[in-house]
Amino acid sequence: MLGLFTAIGRGTARWLALVGALARFAFEALASLRSLPGAGRRVAGRVLLNQLRFTALQSVGLIVLLSGVLSYLTISATITQLSRVGASEFIGELMVVVIVRELGPLLTALAVISRSGTAITAELATNTVLGEVRALEGLGIDPYHYLVLPRLFGCVVSVCTLMVLFDVIAVFGGYLAAAAFGGMSGARYLGIVLANLTTQDVVLTVLKGLLFGIVIGIIPSFQGLSVRQGPTEIPQAVIRGTVGSIAVIFVIAALIVGVLQ
Amino acid sequence: MNALLVFEDVPLGRIRRATIGGPAHLPVEAEGAFSLEVAAHQTVAVVGDETSGVNLLGGLVMGLDRVPEGHVRALGTEIATLDRRAQLAFRRKLGYLPAGDGLLQNLSLRDNIRLPLRFGSDFRPRDIEGRVDVIVAQLRLTRVADRRPAQTNAEERRRAAMGRALAFDPDLVILEEPFDGLTERAAAELLELARGGEVSEGGRRTVLITGQDLPALLRRRVDRQVRLRRGRVEVPA
Repeated sequence: MLGLFTAIGRGTARWLALVGALARFAFEALASLRSLPGAGRRVAGRVLLNQLRFTALQSVGLIVLLSGVLSYLTISATITQLSRVGASEFIGELMVVVIVRELGPLLTALAVISRSGTAITAELATNTVLGEVRALEGLGIDPYHYLVLPRLFGCVVSVCTLMVLFDVIAVFGGYLAAAAFGGMSGARYLGIVLANLTTQDVVLTVLKGLLFGIVIGIIPSFQGLSVRQGPTEIPQAVIRGTVGSIAVIFVIAALIVGVLQ
Repeated sequence: MNALLVFEDVPLGRIRRATIGGPAHLPVEAEGAFSLEVAAHQTVAVVGDETSGVNLLGGLVMGLDRVPEGHVRALGTEIATLDRRAQLAFRRKLGYLPAGDGLLQNLSLRDNIRLPLRFGSDFRPRDIEGRVDVIVAQLRLTRVADRRPAQTNAEERRRAAMGRALAFDPDLVILEEPFDGLTERAAAELLELARGGEVSEGGRRTVLITGQDLPALLRRRVDRQVRLRRGRVEVPA
């Protein structure tokens, strides 16, 4: 019995230490913004643009596909049933609650984690293993400035914009499905959807974009820079970064539903 | 003696990494405390095997590793006592060529040399470009300057790393294993670049070289060579 408690205690202590280290990393990264030198801003700005190109621009195709297919599947599966019981007005609520408010942000975040979160961890872990991070510090360049902040802000901006894109495509895809399967006119469909879209939905979507972006910028960076034992640890770091980001994002989504909605 | 670099009773067996990332445990079998003074304009080489602690000296000078006792002073400043921001600023006064080069693989050799100047100086872009062009020409890298490190050979990478270390024209240069894998001629050339020419007192710059051994040709060109064993100076050669 004592062994069981010891194991639980050790596991909890390890978990708390990880959360503490992650929180410290996030705080130090954000606090380093104050000390970013003027000349460094221009260099970091170029790294940020690269990150936006990779995370936002190159993800557009994937987001359009995911969003279009999701809305098509959701609306085509429900419109016929709703029309049969005379409840086709609920299509707007369904669209806003299920896709715009909940699934859109989650699927966008998952897409960004799968493309960019994994790449960030692998890249920073490789930088660490090859001694590039240590060399940067030796040159007087803060790795938070050059490596972490551009990726963090790149992820926040990318997730927010991709979320908006996801929702727009979803609404448009839903219209196509509603017209094809329910015979609904475009004006009526848009009217129903917009009537159900409240300011709170917009605020929550932006809030989720910010929080999810921070998570995807911080956790993979933290795991990438935490590599200690060499190249063989890189795949493990990628797994830790990916799984950790997904878990935290789902917890945040649940907390927002529980607390704010 | 005007010492630009001082190690005073540093227990090399108890060093802790102070940087982001990298291995936390350093495989050193050091027992004693290490002391050394490097006078201005001197070139001093400290050699020893992997477990002697010789590979820790550069990190200590740059404040990349933390020493629990003793003191390490470079240019009269104990970098370990500075806050993080001041440490970063102070490192720009020193030249540092880390073991394994540490060149960023996603940048060209020219961009690697340009990076510290663009990030850590208020020079105008035109002045930076001029300075980078001079360094590239001095290091005979013009032909390969726009290639990435993986597309160049070990000597070219080492030259680029040296160029990056000398970008701010520092008074004190720390070189970790700078000559590994190079021919004696290439090594001698790099050493002369690090010294920055001659003045009446010796080299224009003060240079500390650390590594497992020094090429025979270079032993005559350094002012002093000391051998480290288990964290202590064994034989002043």
